[in-house]
Amino acid sequence: MKRLLSYLLLGLVVSGMLSAQNNQLDISGYVRNYTGLLTSDMDQFSIVQNTLNLNLELRGEKTGLKVNPYLYQYFDQAPELGLREIYLDYYTDKLDVRIGKQQIIWGKAEGVFITDIISPKDLSEFLLRDFEEIRSGVTAVKLNYHTGIHTLEGVWVPVFTPTIMPASGSIWAPSLNFPIPPVWDYSTANKAFSVSNSEAFLRYSLMASAFDLELVGGSFLYDDPAMHLTRQVDPVTKQLKGLTVRPDYHRVNMAGGSFSLPLGDLVVRGEGAYYDGRYFQTTAPTSPDATLEKNYLHYMAGVDYTLAGIKLSAQFIQERILDYETGIQNEVVETTMTFLAKKDFFREKLWLELFAYVGLNNEDALIRPKLSYSIADGMELQAGANIFTGIAGRFGQYDSNDMVFMKLKYSF
Amino acid sequence: MKTIKFLGLTVLLSMMSTGVILAQKTGLQVMQTVYNLPSGEDTQAELSMVLTNKQGEKRVRQLKQYISETGGVEKKIMYFVSPADVKGTSFMNWSYSTGKEDDQWIYLPALKRTKRISSGSKGDYFMGSDFTYDDLGDRHPDQDTHKLVREETVAGKACYVVESKPKTSGHMYSKTITWVMKDNFIGLKREFYDPNGKLLKTLLVKNYQKISGIWVILETEMKNVQKNHSTTITLRNVKVNQGVPASKFTERSMTMGS
Repeated sequence: MKRLLSYLLLGLVVSGMLSAQNNQLDISGYVRNYTGLLTSDMDQFSIVQNTLNLNLELRGEKTGLKVNPYLYQYFDQAPELGLREIYLDYYTDKLDVRIGKQQIIWGKAEGVFITDIISPKDLSEFLLRDFEEIRSGVTAVKLNYHTGIHTLEGVWVPVFTPTIMPASGSIWAPSLNFPIPPVWDYSTANKAFSVSNSEAFLRYSLMASAFDLELVGGSFLYDDPAMHLTRQVDPVTKQLKGLTVRPDYHRVNMAGGSFSLPLGDLVVRGEGAYYDGRYFQTTAPTSPDATLEKNYLHYMAGVDYTLAGIKLSAQFIQERILDYETGIQNEVVETTMTFLAKKDFFREKLWLELFAYVGLNNEDALIRPKLSYSIADGMELQAGANIFTGIAGRFGQYDSNDMVFMKLKYSF
Repeated sequence: MKTIKFLGLTVLLSMMSTGVILAQKTGLQVMQTVYNLPSGEDTQAELSMVLTNKQGEKRVRQLKQYISETGGVEKKIMYFVSPADVKGTSFMNWSYSTGKEDDQWIYLPALKRTKRISSGSKGDYFMGSDFTYDDLGDRHPDQDTHKLVREETVAGKACYVVESKPKTSGHMYSKTITWVMKDNFIGLKREFYDPNGKLLKTLLVKNYQKISGIWVILETEMKNVQKNHSTTITLRNVKVNQGVPASKFTERSMTMGS
């Protein structure tokens, strides 16, 4: 069935190219070298990555086509070639239809995923990839109906795409604390291409002078797996003698919204979502497979302000597990803050930026200073660092992964 | 004076026909006349900005711009065409004749998200040019005190010379001096003075032309005399009153690009 869908998509793309052949093909993209060193081992590169990213676009009066292939070439692993997006557009006065693999971004939060839940994350380098690279495309049908300042968007995702986790052995692989080496059972991890495994989302958005608003809802398979454990205990010694881990993706329902509100020189942002039926890992003996289904809240309040030419932004984010039970490995409330300060010098030739995630529960942080210099139009040199602090938590677990990097990027 | 109109988009040739002629105007009357000039219901144009530094090195930015003014709200959307690293970015501004703060949004294609931004940073330079956002926006004459300091001829054009000082402190310029052509009330030249009273920038109109019965300024140069840096804006394919639909000034339009 997936093959049939691929052929169908390819057919649509070819027919789209043929119908739009009288329009000029727009080619843009970038090439980039990204070289990083761990500060704990300045003798070895932690990453040397060369990237080619292409955007090929055809736009007609009522139709459009976009293909976004990319290539990552590494010094120590096989190259990665993929299509981030490949889709067809059809436009009418009020209705837009987009079919194909596409990135769909929702919400007002920055660097945090609350209602932004359609395009799964690529966490192969934790949260360090550029924003456009951290979201995978999903094969979807998207309809947008526009009337004035109002938009209604419906998305149907027939093919489930999970979060891309760091490869085992990667410095970004999260720590999994199993008492003994487990056996992995992936029998439920691959979701069949079926209507029952498809996902549906709806968004209403408003962009007005007074405020911007989004109201969203969705029924979907949560992109991160729940790890269901099966323990084999020796009946004599009562010691654990075997452990099977079965990752599975479960359906959740979500409702939420976000807004941006100008208040004088400030822009106040908010975003929140209620998740019905998320799975959490637990050590409670009453949960033999080590998971518990709970409802969950995720919300953010943020503010943007410009002071003496410095663009400042702060966000306060909380994740709250409802009807919490002892043994759940996540805390009942997890609080994170983000901070951004950014300023340009020499007429946008030099940018200085500091972005930080701060975890308040574990007193850990990821601090990302970055300097960007525009050597020439389209040619940019970046130098920066990723500094992890703390000993535990979302960021503290990578305390030994402090890194300095340089990127040279040419856009065309 | 509306600098955006000074940049050119649309100014009416003669106030003679509208009966706005006075034997001797005050500074305020001159600036109010300029501010209230009908500018067409909508305009669209391709803009080229050439930034030249003191070494003579040039950087070029190209945009497409659409402006519509109805019901006291001026809506403007700009699509960034080049350089490549900003291509696909769009910027939208709604400004209000009531004096309400502008509403501004930016769409960044890499983020695939339209973001509302604060209009408080009007002193920032637009795309690294010598024009600040404030220079490009509307400044109502009531925000300044105006004095007609003299009348003189510049480049063969008889002009009113008006000195304008902000009524409130904290503005980026301590004063401006504007040369307004008597025959058409187009601003021909303006000097901007920094908070210390020193000349900071000079704006000069270099080319203007009548399009669809409306005078349009096609080339203007802003020079920062302290930094020896200049920006020349040239308009091409200017269309006036061709009908820019309201749907041009929406999130859909920002995300789709030009």
